[in-house]
Amino acid sequence: MTQLPVQASQGRRQLLKGAGALAGLSSLGMPAISLAQNKPIRIGMPTILSGRVAMLGIASTSAAKMEVEKFNAAGGLNGRKIELIIRDSKGSPQEASRVARELVTADGCEMIFDGEASSGSFAVHEVARDLGVLVIHTCSETSSLTADPKLRVPTAFRCARQGIHDAVVGGAYAAQVAKEKGLRRWMTVSPDYAYGRDTTEEFIEYLKYFNKDIEVIGEVWPKLFQPDYSESITRLVQGKPQAIYSCIWGGDLTSFIDQANIYALLKDRQFFAVNMADYAVLTAVKNVPQNLHSGNRYLKNFPNTTANTNWSNEYTAKNKELPLNWSWQNAAGMQFLTAAMKKANSSDGKKVAEALRGLTIDSPFGTNGKLTMRAEDNTIVDYAVGWGTLDTKEPFMAKPNMGSWKQISELELEWKKRKGWA
Amino acid sequence: MKRHAFTKEMALGAVVLGLLLLIPLLTPSRIALDFVIRLAALGIFATSLNMLVGYGGMVSFGHSMFFGSGAYAFALTLQKTSMGIPTAMLVAIVFSGLVALVIGAICVRLKEIYFSFLTLAFQMLFHSIILTWTTLTGGDQGLTGGIPRPPFLGLNLAQTTDLYAFASVVGVVCFLLMRYILQSPFGYTLRMVRDNADRAQFLGINVWRVKLYAFILAGVFASVGGVLMSLFVSGAFPDFSYWTMSGEAVFMIMMGGVNVFLGPLVGSALLLMFNDVITRTTEYHGLALGLVVLIFALGFKRGITDFVLQGWQWLQRSGRAS
Amino acid sequence: MEPTALLECLSSVSCIVTQSSTGLIVGALLFLVAAGLTLIFGVLGVINFSHGSFYMLGAYIALSAYRFTGSYILATLAAGLGVGLFGLFFERFFMRRVYNADVLMQLLVCYAFILILDDVVKIIWGPEFQSMGMPAAFEAPPLFIGGGIVPVFYLYLIAAAGLIALVLWYILAKTRLGKVVRAAAHNPTMTSALGLNTSLIYACVFAFGGLLAGMAGGLAAPVRSMSPGMGFSILIESFIVTVIGGMGSVSGALVGALLIGLVRSFGSIGFPLFVEGIMFLAMVLILVLKPSGLLGKETRS
Repeated sequence: MTQLPVQASQGRRQLLKGAGALAGLSSLGMPAISLAQNKPIRIGMPTILSGRVAMLGIASTSAAKMEVEKFNAAGGLNGRKIELIIRDSKGSPQEASRVARELVTADGCEMIFDGEASSGSFAVHEVARDLGVLVIHTCSETSSLTADPKLRVPTAFRCARQGIHDAVVGGAYAAQVAKEKGLRRWMTVSPDYAYGRDTTEEFIEYLKYFNKDIEVIGEVWPKLFQPDYSESITRLVQGKPQAIYSCIWGGDLTSFIDQANIYALLKDRQFFAVNMADYAVLTAVKNVPQNLHSGNRYLKNFPNTTANTNWSNEYTAKNKELPLNWSWQNAAGMQFLTAAMKKANSSDGKKVAEALRGLTIDSPFGTNGKLTMRAEDNTIVDYAVGWGTLDTKEPFMAKPNMGSWKQISELELEWKKRKGWA
Repeated sequence: MKRHAFTKEMALGAVVLGLLLLIPLLTPSRIALDFVIRLAALGIFATSLNMLVGYGGMVSFGHSMFFGSGAYAFALTLQKTSMGIPTAMLVAIVFSGLVALVIGAICVRLKEIYFSFLTLAFQMLFHSIILTWTTLTGGDQGLTGGIPRPPFLGLNLAQTTDLYAFASVVGVVCFLLMRYILQSPFGYTLRMVRDNADRAQFLGINVWRVKLYAFILAGVFASVGGVLMSLFVSGAFPDFSYWTMSGEAVFMIMMGGVNVFLGPLVGSALLLMFNDVITRTTEYHGLALGLVVLIFALGFKRGITDFVLQGWQWLQRSGRAS
Repeated sequence: MEPTALLECLSSVSCIVTQSSTGLIVGALLFLVAAGLTLIFGVLGVINFSHGSFYMLGAYIALSAYRFTGSYILATLAAGLGVGLFGLFFERFFMRRVYNADVLMQLLVCYAFILILDDVVKIIWGPEFQSMGMPAAFEAPPLFIGGGIVPVFYLYLIAAAGLIALVLWYILAKTRLGKVVRAAAHNPTMTSALGLNTSLIYACVFAFGGLLAGMAGGLAAPVRSMSPGMGFSILIESFIVTVIGGMGSVSGALVGALLIGLVRSFGSIGFPLFVEGIMFLAMVLILVLKPSGLLGKETRS
């Protein structure tokens, strides 16, 4: 993807910037020669813009660009504007590593805004470790990235939801529903890879913690991106569970539901699909089953605040499509980055990292209008997490149950201790 | 004649190495350093594949199996034990050699397309083991947390400049070794087997054994490429053993040329440059790369060095005729 | 590994019915795609590595045709025809030039097309995943046969695949065209010496292979989501089927596809984590023990 054009509206400034940019362009790899106060803040963004997960990159870059434009329009950092340089790693971790390094060493990026999926994030994480550059991961939900002290990098942060948080809230909600409806026999069907396994394990753990009567009578593990779920579905049908959990996502979830419907798998069964409340899936699935429960990937009415709805409308107007989970995570990440830069009054990575640690910002995505970057493990807390039943039409989740962060934090700490991470 | 020719190669190698080591002193550009490190890893990988394809007539679809085995063995040794880098490299090479021995013994008996498919099947099996054995390999996320790089011989491979020097030396040494092997009597026997296996058999050559040795050697060198790539990304990923990596190697040798020793290296450099430039300029890089490959396959119909070599030979012939 | 679960299933009629029908469904679609692949190899001696992209193209054409006409049958036919025409174009302008080059050149051309088609699909239909939705006619509740569950739509799929297989067999075994095609597969030089237009035959076979893959894409469209790059998984599976069944043998493709389908469906009960591994192992065993495949003949001259 090409660089974000940065245009000032005043004529004289424009002329000076143009001259500087021209001089800079003529020598690839050498720092742009321009007046110090107009020197743009270059932020590199490796992400996935092609292949099966292209929507991740598209949603992420759209959201990041929107925040960058707002920041630049408001004057930037003492007049310095952000220049976001976006690169496609095509979903390959070694390419992500190379691209991140190139952004820092050749393109003069002072910070990396990492829009990679989990395996790519781990690769970029090592670049952060080796080069000592500030990195904010916005799409990786794997807890170990920030929770495991052995992996931690002081200049690497995560602004995304985490599986463990979802699991606590989801487990509590599902346990309640299970008590009300007498759901004791459960089965799971999730994609067989790290995210799928970890998320499912965590959900079941907390489901059982909140409701001791639960029995998981079978687990099915189709491969990621598998087109045909017939054998998984028939296995579920044979098992005759009362409730099914799944963390299948995106296009696969759409396929799964379409295929499950022709087997009438979900008729008279409760289906807990954590990734269902995603506008991409909700608009693609033609027959949303009854008895569907989901977590909130992103919904414009959750949290039910004007700030959130406004942001969603602005995003939709600009990008002609509804925001996804990756969208809010990247928007929040950029909000954090700009706030930290203002607090440190600098674009130096180390100073910004200091400012980021423990920083609380106003954000439309917080439980109480605020988000905090937890200092002890460089990851965000207090974002709105919730579960609820899904309807087939807007607003899709009419009565979401918001998770309590007090409960989440307690249980998360205990979970970390069990893993030997705290 | 061969001894004289090899001194020439050694001298050339020394000159190239000298030039390479000068580069970081001449320019502060880090991008050149990263490029050379990747070129060393992929160039060795591609040239090792050409040992099988160009020189041995054995089209392997599964060569990335050894690239991956080298990377994983190396990275795991460093992560789990306190061995130094040279020892870890040795572990990677020996491990890959053993894997190549077992798999090669089964595969080289087959001919042509069946050999190709069998190597592909083994590679996919290997890949699926990497994905399933999550406790050892980290599964689809690869080896996370980075690899410790204990300093040795005054080199700290966590520094790009030191890694660059290391990669340059390893690269030049591997190329010289591969050249030596291919110019040796073994190399000539291999080519004889490629051209006419039956005749070679009649001459008393154990064709199966020659092919097996070639397979093992190719696997060993591929694993060195994997080691370098593992150092570059500070880890190892399942992608290293996926069919896309094998496919890239095939591209490199087809675009660079199978009949010239340095063809695959040229192909690697070309492909890396295309990749780096194309991903910077357009989001439709599949389209761009696909068109470039079509031009090579349908237009040139052979790799660049083959094209140049043919042109050179044609010139020589017409020069002699007139 | 869960051998007890597998034994339990094998002793229950309903389980056998459900799992066997699942195996048939998986196998039926796989057969359509693999048949095209094996036919092209058998007659032209060329491995069409871009066959998975043909399938993808078929799925997308069906999607657009369905949105335009609202008819599922028309959509599937459009998919078959569209990809058949594309196959013709592909063969005439690209593959023809590399028939005499070695297999790596052919691989290169095919792989280039995979890359190009993935981007073309992205440009025309967008990068997000798309879904066709089930046509109203098939939204009936599933049937219960012998206690096992069989969806109505899948019965239709099996029937459609079976019909196509029958037509294919008839053409190849009973018609003059089929005889000509088989002759060209067996001995192209002799066939052209006898005055038959081999290049026309080649073009037809490629087009037909494309038609089969395109129809498979269209038939499966209601229950699959489409995204650029979806062709790859079906490609690898059709390779496995073709190798196991025998390259060049359409009946081998049928046997191989059914075998793989059954292994998948019963395997998901007995050894769920190793289904993929078992399939690759089967491929390895066949190549080592009987390289020409279960029903294959020796390599063509």
